[in-house]
Amino acid sequence: MTPNFVHMHLLLNHVPTVGTVVALGVLLLGLAKRSEELTRGALALFFAIALVSLPTYMTGYSAQKALKDRPGVSAELMQRHQSAALVALTVMEATGVLAWFGLWQGRKPTGVARWNAPLVLLFATVTLGLMASAANIGGAITHPEIMAPGEGPGTAIAPQSFMTPNIGHFQFTHPFAWPMLESLHFIGLCLLFGVVLVGNLRILGFMKNAPFVDVHRLLPWGVWGFVINAVTGMMFFTGAAGQYIENPAFHLKVLCILLAGANVLYLTLFDEVWALGPGDNAPTSAKLVAASQVFLWVGVIYFGRMLPYIGNAF
Amino acid sequence: MTSYLEWLQDLPVSMWIAGSESLLSFPLILFLHSIGMGLSAGAAFVICLRLVGVARPLPVSSLRVFFRIFWAGFFLNLVTGSLLFAAHATTTGVIPMYYIKLALITAGMVLSVPIRRFVDGDTSDGVVPSQVKGLAALSLLVWVGVITTGRLIAYVG
Repeated sequence: MTPNFVHMHLLLNHVPTVGTVVALGVLLLGLAKRSEELTRGALALFFAIALVSLPTYMTGYSAQKALKDRPGVSAELMQRHQSAALVALTVMEATGVLAWFGLWQGRKPTGVARWNAPLVLLFATVTLGLMASAANIGGAITHPEIMAPGEGPGTAIAPQSFMTPNIGHFQFTHPFAWPMLESLHFIGLCLLFGVVLVGNLRILGFMKNAPFVDVHRLLPWGVWGFVINAVTGMMFFTGAAGQYIENPAFHLKVLCILLAGANVLYLTLFDEVWALGPGDNAPTSAKLVAASQVFLWVGVIYFGRMLPYIGNAF
Repeated sequence: MTSYLEWLQDLPVSMWIAGSESLLSFPLILFLHSIGMGLSAGAAFVICLRLVGVARPLPVSSLRVFFRIFWAGFFLNLVTGSLLFAAHATTTGVIPMYYIKLALITAGMVLSVPIRRFVDGDTSDGVVPSQVKGLAALSLLVWVGVITTGRLIAYVG
């Protein structure tokens, strides 16, 4: 059975909007009540929404492909929805990274920096505005009746659809753009994979003389690796979506990324790992999570490498 | 040189890697080469980042295990890299980029010797001498170069 990515888009597209409203509410409540638990909960929510936003954006291309020849569906409106969604996605991902930093800092003896929660609040509010705007245009694609009178596909309800075609244009007109982005993608891979190994090998029982609080100082570098790869990866995707949206290797790669991301959240939030002092042995449950995390990143590399062989990517 | 490259490419194993449609042929070797890269360059990144001053509370001595990971990745890639080269010897063997990559790998190996001597030594959990820091920074650049030139081989050929 092939999964229906159009359905998936219609299901997932509620997460970035409704989810952001909920997470914003929890964050405001946490700040008002000065509750660290609620604030951390909100940060974890933002991180999770940022992860889910990736397939939300990607499945949009499948929906676009399914609808593009349908009478009464405006191609321009879809293009505007896509551009608005890409802007919203970019800010959403930045919010997710900032939220992860808040969770990370919360583990340090000095605690969360004062700038974190207000900055996440600011980014999340901007995200919400952008997501709502993208969702509004998206809704109008198949429900033109929701648009105000006189407001047609040509009116300025969204940024001009300049972004996605330009990214593709850049990558295919500069002969070295695609190879250099590929190189960056592999450098990010090594950075991410190296840090993943450090964190998880400590839990699995190697390098035991290091307490986990010290290992944890290295984790942001893994996140930088992920950011490099998310940016370059999304450039490949927006530049040549056709080679990914119907590629089973790509679907499995994204699935592995989401599961590995959930895994990162577990390791960031749960106390059993953080309490590990020099020489301490991690509990079996944490070891299982650590082993599965290494396995999942290997899976990400496998399906990424198989894009041209299992699927149709070049 | 050309006759050697042709001989290499005409070996049964090379012909199988280049010609087979199986996912267990060229694609699997390419995947293992990526894993070897993740292990060796990933380990080098972690060790060198710590030495240049990242995550300072982390004891340098705790990273000793990463030299084993580094070498495991290196040997995996020596084998898989040789197989990938053999499959397309006459094309890859004439690209300067390929030889730049080999030169950079050699530089990375040479740099790893004094770096390892420091990490394995008794004073590794003290202050990192500026000389070791410099070597670590250089090593980071070298491995970035190895990855970049390796990636470019697929495009300049």
